[in-house]
Amino acid sequence: MATRVTAVVVDDHPAVRAGVTYWLAGGDPPIDVVAEGEDVKAAWLGAGADADVVIFDLHLGGPAPAFGDLRRLAEAGRRVVVYSMRADDEVALQCLELGALCYLTKAEGAGHLVEATRAAAQDRPYTPPSLAGALAGDRSETRPALSAREAEVLVEWFQSESKEFVAHRLGISASTVNSHLERIRVKYARIGREAPTKAALVARAIQDGLIGIDDL
Amino acid sequence: MLLGVTGIIQLGLGIAPLLRHHSSYRPPVAADLAYVTLAGVTALCALWVLRRKPLPRSMAAGGTLVVLAASSAATAALPPDAFFREPHWSFGLVGWHLLVLLADRPPALLTALAAHTAASVTQFLLGGAPTRTELGDAAIVLFGVTVFQLAIAGLIRLLDRRAGEAAAAAAERERLAIRAALAAQAGRDLRTGFAEQLGATLPLLAGLADGTVDPRTPDARARCALAAAQLRRLFAENDDVPDPLVHEVTACLDVAGRRGIVVTLAVSGDVVDVPAPARRDLTAPVLTALAAARTRARVSVLRTPELVRVAVVADGSAEVTGSAAVPVTSHSRDGQTWMEARWRPE
Repeated sequence: MATRVTAVVVDDHPAVRAGVTYWLAGGDPPIDVVAEGEDVKAAWLGAGADADVVIFDLHLGGPAPAFGDLRRLAEAGRRVVVYSMRADDEVALQCLELGALCYLTKAEGAGHLVEATRAAAQDRPYTPPSLAGALAGDRSETRPALSAREAEVLVEWFQSESKEFVAHRLGISASTVNSHLERIRVKYARIGREAPTKAALVARAIQDGLIGIDDL
Repeated sequence: MLLGVTGIIQLGLGIAPLLRHHSSYRPPVAADLAYVTLAGVTALCALWVLRRKPLPRSMAAGGTLVVLAASSAATAALPPDAFFREPHWSFGLVGWHLLVLLADRPPALLTALAAHTAASVTQFLLGGAPTRTELGDAAIVLFGVTVFQLAIAGLIRLLDRRAGEAAAAAAERERLAIRAALAAQAGRDLRTGFAEQLGATLPLLAGLADGTVDPRTPDARARCALAAAQLRRLFAENDDVPDPLVHEVTACLDVAGRRGIVVTLAVSGDVVDVPAPARRDLTAPVLTALAAARTRARVSVLRTPELVRVAVVADGSAEVTGSAAVPVTSHSRDGQTWMEARWRPE
């Protein structure tokens, strides 16, 4: 049996840390929160330094997003799931650019958090509906070219929050919906600044057969 | 009218003395030339006057100079002792020409008339020492002609002003009438607009009032929910907010929230300017689906500069037919209904 996934929770609200720990412990299989703290130090020191995934609150005690901390974590190869109060498209895109594996808003529930954490532990991206909306609305100069089907999957996943529903509507299987979402994230991982987490994400996509070496 | 007077005086009263005393002018050709020149100026003025257009400034100024020159020439050609008498046909006539040329410019007219009179008098005095009788006759003619012409000038001015006032009053009356008509039309539009936008509310209220709709039935309650949401959205429509579309979508959510439906709203993309009729059509599926929802619903607004998409997923069945500008697509599966309205900015 594979070893259990471990996580460290960085959030300035104790109630949120407790809630996240509870949700992750309730996953199947459970995810162990090995450290937590109101400060990013928790992810660098002690047990937190070895955790598989960092659940990171972007607004630590201030209104400005902690992009610097996020960048340093990603540059060190730490797999980060950003967990934020705000549904802000630009901030979400910026986090992906810096190398976060997922951007999740606190309005999105336990299911998304558990899935995002498990995916991150395996260097896989997870795209929750709000992030899909941000990607679908992305009109920046540097955005990657998406196929019509990929764009439609993004939009309908954002609208319905149900992969089964998207699959039924587009006449494809739920796993195809997932591959489309992952392929979109691979495209995003290959633009902008380089980060070990992005490289690992692309490498994992090749291992999974999502993209070929020739596509690079 | 002035033009006619000038023409008639020139033809009727001017030509007779010219012909009768023709041989006595020194030389006769100067008098002929002056006569023809004056006739030419009248004809030129006719080009504008008959089209009821004001004389251009250059025409008025040039014409005045020419007329004054012709007058001097005609006066200079007079035989002795003829000043202000019958052979001096030009004196009175030129005054009429000046009236035609400068009727719209009173200060210039007065100046020109004064110049004309002064020139004639000077020429008269230079022509030799006049006798007392001659002076008296000349004064009477001068006075008679000049005062008559000044009186006509004053009359023209008065008529002009009255005509202007009458035209302004008529224009004001017309403007008021148009405004009243527009206001009445706007009022009618507002009433029909409200009746349309009130949607299901009026027939529902009528049905409740006369007992044909039973408020205990789920159908009636659903209709009430829809009407309430429609009203709530209608009230939000005229609010001055930075993002009217999301504001109206939120208004639709309010009523559903109060009915205990769990509704999530997700918005992505920058604000796009959507006109009110398109907003009405875009929110129609949201209203209908939320009114039919049983427990939960998700509403999403996705905007790009090319396309605005408002979608709703709810557990309940509902149907909305879109419009040409805002087509609506729907899809149902396992009791879930998805509806999406799309609108393309121009």
